[in-house]
Amino acid sequence: MLFQKILYPVDFKPASLNVKPYILKLKEAGCQEVHLLYVLVPSEWGLLQKEEYDTEEKINALRGAMNEGYVEGLKKTFRKMQELAREFEESGIKTRVLMIPGELDEVIAEYAEKNDIKLVALGVTAESLSFFRVGKVLDVIKAVDKPILIVKSAES
Amino acid sequence: MPLFEKVLYSTDFSPLAEVALDYVRKLKEAGEKEVVVVHVVDDLSVELPEGAELLKERELYRVLPEADQKYLTSLLERLEAVKSRLEADGLSVKLYLRYGNIPKQIVDVAEKEGVKLIVMGAHGKGLLTEILLGSVSTDVIRSASCPVLIVKRREE
Repeated sequence: MLFQKILYPVDFKPASLNVKPYILKLKEAGCQEVHLLYVLVPSEWGLLQKEEYDTEEKINALRGAMNEGYVEGLKKTFRKMQELAREFEESGIKTRVLMIPGELDEVIAEYAEKNDIKLVALGVTAESLSFFRVGKVLDVIKAVDKPILIVKSAES
Repeated sequence: MPLFEKVLYSTDFSPLAEVALDYVRKLKEAGEKEVVVVHVVDDLSVELPEGAELLKERELYRVLPEADQKYLTSLLERLEAVKSRLEADGLSVKLYLRYGNIPKQIVDVAEKEGVKLIVMGAHGKGLLTEILLGSVSTDVIRSASCPVLIVKRREE
């Protein structure tokens, strides 16, 4: 069951979307479930309560505590993820769509560990791996203890 | 789509490399046909030219002390054993035994052979790098143009 449950962190940039065909192909090698995870990094979304936002109801519940524009933005992202998930569902792969606030490396590593993820499929850009960039990508690769498939793209 | 058709399997013959081999074998179900098995030697007592092909350039052996020659012969046997296992699975196999900088040589073979994916255990030299990720893996991820699958530990 080496590829049975895959964690797919997405941010809708081309680098992350380029991973999709690899996951679809891994269905033939036993992939049955994909968890699409959008990490809400603090710099983009401010301080949100750390929980798994996996339904629109949970996002709606943030109204009042958060600016209306933020809530709408979150909902828009969530719907885009559901759309992406549909492509997997249509291929017979079960999906879970969720957003979690926090640091990229911590959220991904922790989620993979807690949910018995078999493989993390990560899209990265060549630039994000540079020695001179204080990026988070290498931290993610280091923090994740599970097997990790790194798909590199030229463009961000 | 032939995403996993030709795979490079980098091995240092460690237990983790053995786990990575399970992934290589499993990928046959996702269309893998050919495996390029690579082992890079960097610890001989005599400096050889960077990138020396130790499977083909047998005359190089003559400059080496007997202990090194025996060591290389044992590596060849181990590579052949990996080859037999993969061939028994119905995969076609090509072997490389090279001398030089480990990540550089892995990436060089990957480019030369036009592989679609590199599979390896997260090995590194030295305790600290081993804990972090493995300097070899980090350098391969940085330099390779194809996707890389890194296996960090055995999955239960």
